[in-house]
Amino acid sequence: MTHAARALGLVPVLLFALAACSSPPPEPEAAITCASGSVAGQGSSAQTNAVSAWIKDYQVACEDATVEYASVGSGAGVAAFIAGTGDFAGTDSPLSAADLPRAGARCGGGQVVHLPMVVGPIALAYNVAGADGLRLAPDTIARIFTGRITAWNDPQILRDNPGAALPATTIRTVHRGDNSGTTDNFAKFLSATAPADWTLGAGSAWKAPGGLAPKGSNRVVSTIEQTDGAIGYVEASYARFHNLPTARVGNAAGEFTTLTDEAAGRKVAGASTTGGDLQLAIDYKTASAGAYPIVLVTYEVVCKTGAPALVKSFLTYAAGPAGQSAATRLGYAPLPESLRAKVEAAVAAL
Amino acid sequence: MARVHYRDGVPAVIEATRELTRRVVRPETPARLRLWVAVTVLTAAALLATTSLLMARVQDQVRIIGDQAAPQAATAADLYFALSDMDAQVARMVLTAGSDELAGSQIDALGTYQQRSRQVDADLQQSLTTSSGAADRAIVLELLDQLAVYRERVWQTLTAGESAAAGYYTQATNVLHLDLLPAAERLRTTSEERLTRAYAAKDATASWATVLAVALGLALIVLLLALQVWLARRFRRTFSPALLLATILTAALVVPVVALLGLQGSRLAEARDDTLTPFLALSRARAVSYDAAADTSRYLISDNLAFYDDDFKRKAARLTGGDGLPAVAGGPDVGPADTDQVVARWKAYQQDHAKIVALAAAGRRADAVSALTGIRRGDAAFDFSYYDAAVDEIATSRQTTFDRTLHDTETLLTGWQIVPIALLGLVVLLIPLSVRKRFEEYR
Repeated sequence: MTHAARALGLVPVLLFALAACSSPPPEPEAAITCASGSVAGQGSSAQTNAVSAWIKDYQVACEDATVEYASVGSGAGVAAFIAGTGDFAGTDSPLSAADLPRAGARCGGGQVVHLPMVVGPIALAYNVAGADGLRLAPDTIARIFTGRITAWNDPQILRDNPGAALPATTIRTVHRGDNSGTTDNFAKFLSATAPADWTLGAGSAWKAPGGLAPKGSNRVVSTIEQTDGAIGYVEASYARFHNLPTARVGNAAGEFTTLTDEAAGRKVAGASTTGGDLQLAIDYKTASAGAYPIVLVTYEVVCKTGAPALVKSFLTYAAGPAGQSAATRLGYAPLPESLRAKVEAAVAAL
Repeated sequence: MARVHYRDGVPAVIEATRELTRRVVRPETPARLRLWVAVTVLTAAALLATTSLLMARVQDQVRIIGDQAAPQAATAADLYFALSDMDAQVARMVLTAGSDELAGSQIDALGTYQQRSRQVDADLQQSLTTSSGAADRAIVLELLDQLAVYRERVWQTLTAGESAAAGYYTQATNVLHLDLLPAAERLRTTSEERLTRAYAAKDATASWATVLAVALGLALIVLLLALQVWLARRFRRTFSPALLLATILTAALVVPVVALLGLQGSRLAEARDDTLTPFLALSRARAVSYDAAADTSRYLISDNLAFYDDDFKRKAARLTGGDGLPAVAGGPDVGPADTDQVVARWKAYQQDHAKIVALAAAGRRADAVSALTGIRRGDAAFDFSYYDAAVDEIATSRQTTFDRTLHDTETLLTGWQIVPIALLGLVVLLIPLSVRKRFEEYR
């Protein structure tokens, strides 16, 4: 038999051999490394939805674990943590200089660590006839929310939106009627970027006169939806799920940036860390190209040493890709990868 | 009109055919040799055409199962599930409306509602694109019409205010249960029937291919061996290497073809029986459980209407019965502990439902809503997620296994319409080659 014939005879065998190779199995999702027991945290309501999703997912994966979180507000959460009634606290702002030593004492003379865990972009949602892709500079926003710009066809708004045909509709501003970290961060942004037009400082209570003041983010979006000419600040998730248009906000780089997860992430990635851990100093005046400037970062505060294994395991999941992905599905922006890696390392060192 | 030529009163064509036949079957050796060659080459050509065409057809029918019939059945099952959950999310939104404490639950329900809504649209679009019959398209169009009515009722429910929401929601859920789900059920049935037909068509082609490959293959091998023997006797030669090679090539084609057809048949039948059919059955049970869980919300929205509690119990009995979760979440691909886990977690949700009904009956509505929406262990929202995660694990495993088997089978069949052309083309060339020198002896 010739060589060619022998080779031909091998063809079916080779085809069989090739066909017998199975396709590679799909990449398994990163499994949660479970711990057991029961822990509780409390604090910021801005992160409640994300923490609730994490708890649900974590408990589903870890049948011997129970994690609870009470949405009582940042201040009450930190107070409870210092009093020793919680294993971790959720807060929209780093601990004050006065609280740090008390928190240290609660941790047996050690230190606490701030773990930025959730990024919540703040949207400017509006309801204006014919307006799409509205652009607003910080000074314009400040003048709108302090009642000095009262119509949508005001020259200053037209300055930000050259060529746009905006109606003469009266502007109806909508702000939170209850104390809120969202209000505090929005006011901080205005104080930093439009100091001449916003002189009211920051704080969780709204300080400007006038406007509609519903309580809670859900009512803020409902009010905007129902009111012709309305504009209000609200967590991005609420604007997104209610299909409200959001303004492109002027940043320090001189751009008007659309609210996206990536743009919010750029702002956070541009922040420096302070306090010897991962507290973020968001400087609204720093020019970061393509960054959406109004963001709220909320932290988990835990003891640097002696944290329960379950807290460590739970936070490892939350800071991991799966946890960040779960938060993103609820309208939060994921932590920028560089920061997420630092948080993951900080949790691993607990 | 074409003119017919005659020779001795017989049409010329018929006469030419007779002459050819006479030359071929003449008892002289060259004529016999021509006859052997002609019959063997024709048999090889028939085997080539049969195996190549039928293997291509089997490959095409396997692709139809993988790309059309199975996805259509999965889409129809997913549509039923997504519709059920969409209404469950509306119930959650109604129940949590106006409550600051439950704002997170409400935004979660809104997000999930929108996701399911997009899922329904995608499933309907997919069904409309791939549906092959007018009856299927009519069902999809009916679903689109009813979906518009349903969404109108949902919009009224969510914007009517607390006092009117329950009334509008009753109409919304009626549209879902009385119009949408029955139509989705019909679509699911027809798509599963189409899947069965696709399998049957593929099996029939594979059977024909096997029978013809065996019959023609054996015939060709016998002819080649007989020719070999005849040549050896008549021309006193030991053997012809070309004919030997042709015989080996024929065997090397027929044996793998028959084995391949048997292998693909058993693999696909196994994939259907062990993974696809159980996957579709589990999807059905999952949709029922989502709908049953929404009955807990509907009970509270309707101000403790026994109708919804009874409806829950009816669905729960269906799920816990012999044909329910113990059957559809079990099987050779699932460990008994995993099946027990699904059943136990569903029973935990049943207990949550009973607790919520008891709280509502005792006038503790706020506690009932809290027990329904809470995410602590023992709260309904968590326990349902816990149950659903166990179901999802089995469903995902089955879907992945089926997809992988189908992909492997398609890979296995790849190129098998070309292999017969290559091998038997060579056989067809080798046969005249083997007798070329014998013919030369007579010149």
